[in-house]
Amino acid sequence: MADATPRTFFSGASLVWGRQRVLWLIYVVNFALAYFATRGTNERIAAILDHSLAARQIVHGFNLGALASLAANPESPLGGSISASLSTAMLFTVFMVFATGGVLATYYSGQRLHSGAFFEACGHHFWRFVRLTIYLVVVLIPVFILGEIMHRVYNRIDKQSISPMPAVHFLEVAVVLVLLLLICIRVWFDMAQVISVAEDERRIHKALRRSATLMRHNFLSLYWLYLRVSLVSWIVFAIGLHIWMTHLRPESILAPFLLSQFLIIFWQGCRLWQRASECIWYRGHQRAIAVSTPSYEPLPVISQQPQAAPTA
Amino acid sequence: MRFQIVLALAFAGVALPAGSGQTTVTRHAASPTPVASPEAAPQKTLSTRVVAYQIDAHLDPPKHTIVATETLRYRNLTGQPQKTFPFHLYLNAFQPQSTFITEERRDDPDYQWKPASFGAINISHLEVTGMGDLTNQFHFIQPDDRNEADHTVMQIELPRAVPAGAEVEFKIAFNDQMPEVVARTGYLRDFYMVGQWFPKVGVWWKGAWNCHQFHNTTEFFADFGSFDVKVTLPQNEIVGAGGDLISSTNNPDGTKTLTFHSEDVHDFSWSASPSFTDVEDSWTGSAGTVKLHVLMSPGHLASAPRYIQVLKGTLALYDQWIGPYPYDRLTVIDPPHGGSEAGGMEYPTLITADTYWFMPKGAFLPEVVTQHEFGHQYWYGMVATNEFEEAWLDEGINSYMETKGMDALYGKDTSVFNLPFAQMGEDDEERVAYLHKPDTDPIARFAWRFYDSGAYGAITYGKTTTVLLTLEKIIGEETLRQALHTYFMRYRFTHPTGEDFIKTVEEVSGKDLRWYFDQAISGTQMLDYKILDAHSDPVNWYESEDTAVKNSDVLYRTYVTVQRKDDFVFPVDVKITFDDEKSVIEHWDGRDRWVRYVYDRKSQLVSAEIDPEHQIWLDRDFFNNSYTVTPDNRATKKLSNILGFASEWIAQLLAWIA
Repeated sequence: MADATPRTFFSGASLVWGRQRVLWLIYVVNFALAYFATRGTNERIAAILDHSLAARQIVHGFNLGALASLAANPESPLGGSISASLSTAMLFTVFMVFATGGVLATYYSGQRLHSGAFFEACGHHFWRFVRLTIYLVVVLIPVFILGEIMHRVYNRIDKQSISPMPAVHFLEVAVVLVLLLLICIRVWFDMAQVISVAEDERRIHKALRRSATLMRHNFLSLYWLYLRVSLVSWIVFAIGLHIWMTHLRPESILAPFLLSQFLIIFWQGCRLWQRASECIWYRGHQRAIAVSTPSYEPLPVISQQPQAAPTA
Repeated sequence: MRFQIVLALAFAGVALPAGSGQTTVTRHAASPTPVASPEAAPQKTLSTRVVAYQIDAHLDPPKHTIVATETLRYRNLTGQPQKTFPFHLYLNAFQPQSTFITEERRDDPDYQWKPASFGAINISHLEVTGMGDLTNQFHFIQPDDRNEADHTVMQIELPRAVPAGAEVEFKIAFNDQMPEVVARTGYLRDFYMVGQWFPKVGVWWKGAWNCHQFHNTTEFFADFGSFDVKVTLPQNEIVGAGGDLISSTNNPDGTKTLTFHSEDVHDFSWSASPSFTDVEDSWTGSAGTVKLHVLMSPGHLASAPRYIQVLKGTLALYDQWIGPYPYDRLTVIDPPHGGSEAGGMEYPTLITADTYWFMPKGAFLPEVVTQHEFGHQYWYGMVATNEFEEAWLDEGINSYMETKGMDALYGKDTSVFNLPFAQMGEDDEERVAYLHKPDTDPIARFAWRFYDSGAYGAITYGKTTTVLLTLEKIIGEETLRQALHTYFMRYRFTHPTGEDFIKTVEEVSGKDLRWYFDQAISGTQMLDYKILDAHSDPVNWYESEDTAVKNSDVLYRTYVTVQRKDDFVFPVDVKITFDDEKSVIEHWDGRDRWVRYVYDRKSQLVSAEIDPEHQIWLDRDFFNNSYTVTPDNRATKKLSNILGFASEWIAQLLAWIA
């Protein structure tokens, strides 16, 4: 039986580091979409600020009054920026559904896939993962209902309690529980994606069932694997924001840019770290089954290629 | 009442001058120690006392009701016999067909009526001494909108007129149904904010009764006088009130009766909760010692020192700038969580503040609200202008003074937010509020006739502040402060008008300011000046480049065109800076639509800037007030980075489902 040992944990990070092209590809797409989402806003802002002495209030510090004044400007420079960002975020999500097949094929094989093979895997698994995403949305509905129930309970406690603190503590616990539950669901669906790629499983519901069985038998190890990575990503993100807000000079341009992009890359890297770790875990799991299963015939060696992986 | 709500997410510290007096924190089982009885105290005659209220009220917490009797002695100082008397019945505003709620729904179609919001004040008995029982004689009137379902004003016709100079005594029995906290009053769990709760007679003003209905944007107007109020309620209640506690008596039925006295005020409110923690302090100024009671709700105790600090700082500033605070007490009510509807409100010698269980030190919401409401002790409490008809005189002037006070205590650019990553000053906050809805209505408009409550807030608070900040450019900050001091000393304990204020400013400054006030107060003109064009060109531009380069004394012709984009005419200074580090200041009266300045110099233009001292706060767009020949894109890059990062981050979050 495979286990989420520290070896798996670090091997996942090592795999992401070793297959950096995947990370860079995703980052470049993310960056490009964000660039296009904000380009119009940036141009409007530039037309107002670049020749204005009043822009110094934003350069030397971060004057919220100047920012609010900019937002209230008759030229409406900030108008539409949120909807543009949401639109490109949707596009990025579609891209990630597309890219996940290639990402998992790369990590599961443990080899460097050339571009053709990578995108072939992307296309090969795309519609499966679209279906899987639909399943995920369905599974998330009860979580949203749970969230709504917790919100109502929070409101009820808040309304009835003389002190605000019981409701606050309830909310803290509820948020943590929902986040932990979301991680649990992500582990489940990520494993289904790994199975789909490793076994070339077309039937998504079957992959989900197998993934659920694996999770049931290895819940703590898999969960702990994901939770650790999540904690690392959140902690680094919080530290990065703290440095940005408190330690960088207000006038500096390059340092905040580099730091912000590092945080984005690191966050994305952590997400890939979870996927890589799960691929390694699953590979180990398959090997363990192959070794422990009594057989009169020697089992075929599990191929490094996902296409060749035998079904258990 | 304070409309703006400010929030913050991070931390910063500020240094404040230490206040005088020792802070003590007590969880009372009973109310504070009574002070001397009014008979023993020297008689104060700060105001012309028109009314004398004696109220005996019994609070029934389970039912959220108050059963009370009121005796009102009214001195007829109107100069003529009076037979008709209107009374405010404010609590009747909290009914679904009232004018107040109708206007709420008009301004916010998503507003939903809640049965718990129901409030009412019912007159069960009304008699006039010497004239008998007149309970069946009163009727409701609707002087503002003819909405017959609105019962916020009643009128009584007496059988015979009260002669000029004589007194008339009304005896009224009434029952209050308190709403769940809404618009400054009501209950929330075990908390009660009891304001606008008794039948209050209108004001004879400008030769007529002034007694408007209660609207969703209006506040109050009343005559000065004295209040003797008895409140009976459970013994575990901790009470704060707008009067001195004269006595406290425990009753055999588990209740207690507190007796309060207040004089030279025009309203009386009180608050009760068994969960309050009373934080006491004191401050001594030019008019003597002021006892401070801060009644803190559970979970908010950490904000108590902040309330105290800003109160002491503001008391000292107002004492120095405006005039003495003549009362011996000030009570601050901190509403419980979820009770912000009761927060940010002023009553004579009692104000309600607002805070949250988590309030970073660099976010000055508690300070802003507390200072604003305290300021109303001057602009409303003592200078008792008509809040229905000229709200700018109390809310606007008070908001202007708030910018001065907060800036003095917490720094000019950091008096709202002083966080590690972001700052904001009060001046900017008020200006941004004004820009929200800048030109729908003139400042001088009856409060309920504004386009909507948003326009009322933006213009009454934000624009008036911005108008007064801009006035500093014309007459100077110190002169304006002197004018406010004169206005206060001259009109305290009276009901002045906007005209009185303007005349006082003109008198103190020695300037005719009608041209300004006509546009700023009576008009809806917008002010926006812009550098339309600014560039330098070689005078001999037609010569070839080679010839021009060989000539070391190239003469440049610089053009600077300034445009008045909107209708508000205001004189402006324009500073033109050249690359030999020399500057020229031009003064333009702004009457024409544009003006062009032309210079022939051996230096080229670097920048042109309108209002280089940054004093014209009314200008709706600061960014077009200047033009630099060389672009500086650091601000754009900074914002682009933040927007790009946010966009990438949103995409990452959404892609979690992939």
